[in-house]
Amino acid sequence: MSYNVKLSVYEGPLDLLLFFIKRDEINIYDIPIAHITNEYLNYLKLMQSMNLQLAGEFILMASILIRIKVQMLLPRPEYEKLEDIEDPRTELVQMLIEYQKYKEIGEQLKQLEEIQSRYFPVALASKLHNYDPELFLGDISLIELGLTFQQILDQMPKVEMVNLEMMKVNIRQQILFLRECLKKRSRIRFSEIAAKLKDRLEVVVTFLAILEMIKSMEISVSQKDIFGEIWLTKKKTGQDNALSNT
Amino acid sequence: MLSQTHKIVLALLFSATEPLTKSQVDICLEEDVDLVQIIADLNQYLETEGLPVWIQLVAGGYRLMTRAEYEPWLTRLFQNKGKLRLSRSALETLAIIAYKQPVTKSEIDAIRGVDTSLRPLVEKNLIKINGRQEGPGRPLLYGTTDHFLEHFGLASLKDLPQVKELAEIAGEDNPLPDIVEQDATE
Repeated sequence: MSYNVKLSVYEGPLDLLLFFIKRDEINIYDIPIAHITNEYLNYLKLMQSMNLQLAGEFILMASILIRIKVQMLLPRPEYEKLEDIEDPRTELVQMLIEYQKYKEIGEQLKQLEEIQSRYFPVALASKLHNYDPELFLGDISLIELGLTFQQILDQMPKVEMVNLEMMKVNIRQQILFLRECLKKRSRIRFSEIAAKLKDRLEVVVTFLAILEMIKSMEISVSQKDIFGEIWLTKKKTGQDNALSNT
Repeated sequence: MLSQTHKIVLALLFSATEPLTKSQVDICLEEDVDLVQIIADLNQYLETEGLPVWIQLVAGGYRLMTRAEYEPWLTRLFQNKGKLRLSRSALETLAIIAYKQPVTKSEIDAIRGVDTSLRPLVEKNLIKINGRQEGPGRPLLYGTTDHFLEHFGLASLKDLPQVKELAEIAGEDNPLPDIVEQDATE
């Protein structure tokens, strides 16, 4: 059996309590406080066992639940009339109902947003970008850049016998090489550059050169999908700094 | 066929970069026009001619919009930059602000039971600061913007989704159903 942990994201303790109430078909005006407290604490334990940082609000709610549970267990003085006794759950119920209202409205807003997102205003003051399907790129993270780098490394011919050679490349040299590549075209695929490189060392050094150039804002990198093609784009400003760090 | 007035209004709609209001149209035409009727005629015309645009009443004005069926191409044209989708917590927070405005951050936090970050919504121009509440600490008061109405395709705050309990207390003079007061009386 595979081990899967499915952990929904709750916006907060009230959201979590509403989930239990819905799941167990509980009447919100008559919450079985012992049951719900158990469920709640179990969830907190699960989160802790997964080393997830618990927000303070979750702990606060745990203490509220336990307080209510204690209040309900305590014997009431006999002389108090039944109607004078306030249900210790009342405040919590009101909070839940209030929160649920806005949660529902939020869901309705989501639907409105969905509908409205399909219309585009005719005179939109928004700049259009070059129409090129390859350019529909999003920003990529450093991890994705690293993964692509790993892929290229894997594609390099495997060395059977090791020859020790003098290091012939350095970052400085590769920055100049990349600038040369970007001179003809302002946008270039990482794989195209990699194809021109001879061995792992060169790929590593070129990769470091790219990082150096990103840092100095000389180029930017973008990628459409994970494991997809990475594009290097020349930026108009911020040149000439990359070399100074090498 | 469209009358000259209809054509002028359509031209105004074509070039306006924000919802066009009746007062703007009146100023441009130098007369008091029956804009509701004109818009209805124009929408009828755009429909029968099978044109890819229609006029939507949004944020208190009229705006020429593309029809929903052209969304796939427009999304590509704008490269996803045109539309933003809000997270669940952002929608929840907006719901609270929309119904309870002007509202303080601590009131929002009390309802949601968590610490809410309002800055992203301010930066997206969905909410704005509407002065300060009198009293201790003079906390900032937040309210929704016109852009909020445009984002959800609402003509005004009166068109916010109605929830059962809210519908009962929403009166004519009270466009913003106020839930606080209901709770306070209990």
